[in-house]
Parts: sequence; structure tokens; C-alpha cells
Amino acid sequence: MKKKNGPAPAPKPGPAKNPDKVPFIVELAKKKPLGLLGLIILIGFLLVAIFADQLAPYPMLNGVMQSSIIDKLQGPSAAHLLGTDNLGRDVLSYLIYGARTSAVLGICCTLLSVTISVLIGTLSATIGGWFDLIVQRIVDAVQCIPATLILLILMSMLGNGIPQMIFAMSVPGGITGSRMMRSAAISVKDSGYVKNSGLLGAGTMWKTFKHVVPNILPIIITNAASSLGGVILQESSLNFLGFGVDPGTPSWGYMITNQGKANMYLMPSLAVYPGVCIALMVFGATMFGDAVRDLLDPRLKGGVGTYNGKKLKKIAQKMSIKYHYTEPETQA
Amino acid sequence: MGKYIVKRILLLIPTILLVCVIVFALMRLIPMDAVAVLQNKLSASGNYVDEDYVRALLGLDKPAIQQFFIWIADVLRGDLGDSFFDHTTVNQILASKLPVTLELGILSLIFTNLISIPLGLFCAAHQDSISDYTIRVISTILIAMPVFWIATLVLIYPNLWWGWAPTVTYTPIWEAPIENLKMFILPALLSAMGQAGIQMRTIRTMTLEVMRQDYIRTAWAKGVPERRVMTHYAFRNALIPIITMIGGSVSMMIGGNVVMENIFNIPGLGSAMVSALNSRDYPIVQGCVLVLALFVMVINLIVDIAYKWIDPRVQLD
Repeated sequence: MKKKNGPAPAPKPGPAKNPDKVPFIVELAKKKPLGLLGLIILIGFLLVAIFADQLAPYPMLNGVMQSSIIDKLQGPSAAHLLGTDNLGRDVLSYLIYGARTSAVLGICCTLLSVTISVLIGTLSATIGGWFDLIVQRIVDAVQCIPATLILLILMSMLGNGIPQMIFAMSVPGGITGSRMMRSAAISVKDSGYVKNSGLLGAGTMWKTFKHVVPNILPIIITNAASSLGGVILQESSLNFLGFGVDPGTPSWGYMITNQGKANMYLMPSLAVYPGVCIALMVFGATMFGDAVRDLLDPRLKGGVGTYNGKKLKKIAQKMSIKYHYTEPETQA
Repeated sequence: MGKYIVKRILLLIPTILLVCVIVFALMRLIPMDAVAVLQNKLSASGNYVDEDYVRALLGLDKPAIQQFFIWIADVLRGDLGDSFFDHTTVNQILASKLPVTLELGILSLIFTNLISIPLGLFCAAHQDSISDYTIRVISTILIAMPVFWIATLVLIYPNLWWGWAPTVTYTPIWEAPIENLKMFILPALLSAMGQAGIQMRTIRTMTLEVMRQDYIRTAWAKGVPERRVMTHYAFRNALIPIITMIGGSVSMMIGGNVVMENIFNIPGLGSAMVSALNSRDYPIVQGCVLVLALFVMVINLIVDIAYKWIDPRVQLD
């Protein structure tokens, strides 16, 4: 979400037509309307998360959700727009605070795991040699262990809570994600300017952080944007399994099991609302991530089907052959 | 080729050793060891165990390094250890639960590919048509919906509306195949959906990327029928990244179905590992992780060899 004002990094290879001077947001709106929709959804959730105290009809008091056990499991009413849960908490307020939990976890985990994978990946590529060999074996090993299990082990090691979740989700994710960063860094580190900077006395660290990292920035941003949705899903399924936040912290995944599934015959809607919230947020994140990838990833640049498609169509028309070709501009 | 396979198998050894070290270390780092958890459970009913005695009995009194080497020596002899609290060995647990997990994994893998490959090719062939858009938006929605949520809803609503509930009692496939499949189809289909969404989009992108190539244009130009261009020219060349994807989803489905097993009450490895984790039954967790990791590694190796088989241009180093 930070990227919206920054200029889009120009694609590296190929003749850049005009180094993108268009702000990223304009490019997004023009080329990827669905990506813009995703961004709007994400910003919406972010605003809800930030202003949860103002928006919630029954805001938290001293960090605890208000509850009145007499009003438990009520249907929608004027006082409680979406009803109440099994502890008499207002469902709408609970969902609003749940957005805060998801937003904090989503943003922190994405930032931390991308930082870890960039550090491991680029250093492994630039230092090379024994360091690379050993680090890559560790990455191999972590990749082979079932991801859910390693998460659960880390969570039972650290205990429930948001900081613990951030750590447990980012570290294995960062380690496994470092592969992509490493291969991207390897393709950059052999270019002339990186090699020759060594002649000017640049050390490994200088090369890594002044030359390699800025040059793989599109890949880093793409990776971060497209992993956001996965992080939110992962967080909610951890909460679903009971290895997530503290029971008092509002969380959508936690709500599905503990309020929804537990009261599934009395109030099935308690399981529906949080799922809709998760799905909507992940939908936004996925759409936005895809759009960012399509705009920044140099490999996919240029649109698919542009390869002489128009020319072929003309030829085909002349020869009266049926040829399917549609304009590539409007792909989402 | 032979040299490459030997090299890869040799590289498996340090990796699997590292897996052992990581899992062993992580398990010992969990606060409250097996005996403390047991004590906790018993004290609720007013009972008490002699912790030192039980520790000595389970071999937990020795230094961790020594325990590690004892475990490794046992593993090398093919004995993954005994459960701390049940009268079973880890080998028995694996023998009874691994087939269940594999059945679920293989079924959902089949569903994933049955859904994703035709749809991916269809979308690539009809790029930017209305059906392409619709399928892609639906696939994004499928990715976005948490699978445990849909599973929970499937448990709730059909029962409320029609009084129908999914089967949640396990019968081994060799005893009652129909009953068994009845139980497995729903969780397999549900866990396939999200994966199919991801895979479909990759297949679409990769096929489109291949369709930019000169040989596709040539094929069009010489009048090869559209269907043949898609299957024989585009799809075959897009297979490499797709195979990578399938390899990745195999390893995810083997280890990642804890949630499904939990919801549909499937007695697979995932739920066994979670309950072992909760009671700190170290040998079960360690043994299962080791076997699953080995599985994943072998699958990765097969995937890499499959590259060479599919695309002779690939150089294995």
C-alpha cells in the first residue's frame, strides 16, 4: 500500500519505450482495473483497522471487548446490527477489531518475511562459496518440513499471541522464500557494474545492498504484494486450529471455530461473517498482488499475445482465415 | 543423467540430517517437556507422577545431544522409536496413518489437476473473452476463501437445510471402498479448490507465454487446427513450470492437510502429529516429520528428473 505514490521502477531488459513517468496508481487504474479494486478493498480494510475504535459501535475498553452475557447469541437488531456472539459481544465490533488483527499480522509478516528472504537470498548469492552451500542446505531442509507443522511447532514453542505469530509465520516463510531472491540476485551479481564495483574497492556488503538489492527491487515488491493474501489465509487457519492469538484478541479465524462452529445450530451466521471478511481481504490482496506482478515483472511485460498479433490478424483477414485475436490492453 | 541422480541423492543426506537436527532441536525448545505436560494433565485429577522417575524411564534425563545420537542410531536401524504414552511404535503409527494421508493427498491432487489443466488451457485459448474473465474471477474467489471456512459451512448448512451431513467416520478403503470414498471426496475436493485456482492461473500465464513464441505463430500460419496448437504446441511447452507447480502442491498436500483432517475427523498423519505435539510425544513428531520430509525430497527429485524427460533441452547440472 505504500507503493501507491512511488514511481514504478522501469523494466530492466529491453528497450524501455519511455521510462515510466506515470505514477504507479495511474498505471494500475489504466491497465489493471481489477488490481485497483483490490487496492481499494485493501485500503478500506486498512482504514477500518486504523479507526476501529471510532467505527466499532461497542469499542474495546482497556483492550477488552465489551460483553454482556445476558444478550448472548442474539439475532440482528438495532442495538447489535449483526447480532451478538456466545459471550454477548457485538459481532460487528468484533469483526471490525478482527480487521485490525489481520491487518497488523498481514503487514508485519509480509515485511519481516520479505526482509528475511532478501537478506538470506542476496547474501547467499553474493558471498557464495561455502556460505552459499551451507545456507542452501538449511533452506532445503526447512522447505522439506511440512509448512503447517513447522508453524504449529513454533507456535507451541512461543505460545499464543500476535508477536509470536508474526515470528512463527515470517521466519520459515522468509527462509523458503529466499530461493527466489537468490536466483534473482545471481542473475544480477555477474553483470559488469557489480563485478567492476569490486575494482573500486566495494566490499560484499556494498555490492549486495547498493547494487544487487536495488536491481531486484521489482521482484521483491512483487513477492511482497503477492504473498500478502497467503499470509492472511495462513494466519486465519492458525487461529482456526487454536494456535493463534490469545483468546481475548478478536480474530476472524478464531471466530469461525470458537463462536461459529461451536454454536453452529443456534447461530450459523457467526461462522459466515468472519469467513466473508477473510475472503474479501484475501481477494483484494490477490487481485492487487497479481496486478503488481503483471506491471512490474519484466518477464511478463509487454502483454501476452502482442507478438505480431495485429499483423497476423491483418494477414489472416486478407487470406480470409479465421484468426482469434483480441486486444491485449484490457487484461486484468 | 546417472551422475546427476547420484549427486542429488548424495545431497539428500546432509539435508535429511539437517531436518533431523531442526526438528529435534525445535521439539526440545518447546517449554514444558513431555513429563511436565503429563504432570499437568494428571494434577487436574489430583494425581501425581514422580517426574524424575518418568524422565529416566523415557530416556529424557540424558543430555539432549546424547538423546539425539541415540535417536539417530535407532533411525539408521529403521526403528523410529516408541510413542511415549501409547503402546505403539512410530513405525506402526506411520503404517496405519500414512496411507490415509496419502489417499487424501492423491485424491485432492487428482481433483486439482482435473480442474486446473482444462480450465487453464481454455482460458489461455480464449484470452480476455468473457468466459476467461469469469473463470479467472471465480478462481481468485476460490483462492481467497479459506478452505476451513467452506468446510465448516459444509458441515453446518446442508445439515440445517436438508438434514444431510458429510460422513465423518473412517472406514479403511480395503474394507468398504464406497464408504471410504464417500468420506474422502468432500475434503479432497475442498482442499483441491484453492490449489486448483492457483494452478489454473499459472497454467494460463505459462501457456500464454509459450503462445508468444515463433513456433506457435508458424503453426498458426501453416494452418494447424486450433485445438492441436493448444495441446501439441502450447501445452507441451508450458509443462515445465506446471510440473514444478504440481511438485510443489504434492508436498503441500502431504503435509498441509492438518486442517482438513481436523474438520472431517480423518485419522491421518496431520492430526496424529498435532495431538502428539500437544502431548509432547517427541518420537511421533520427529518420526513423522522425518518420513514426510523424505517423501517431499524424493518427489522434488522426481520432478527434476521429469524435466529432462519432458524437455530434452534442459541441462541438469
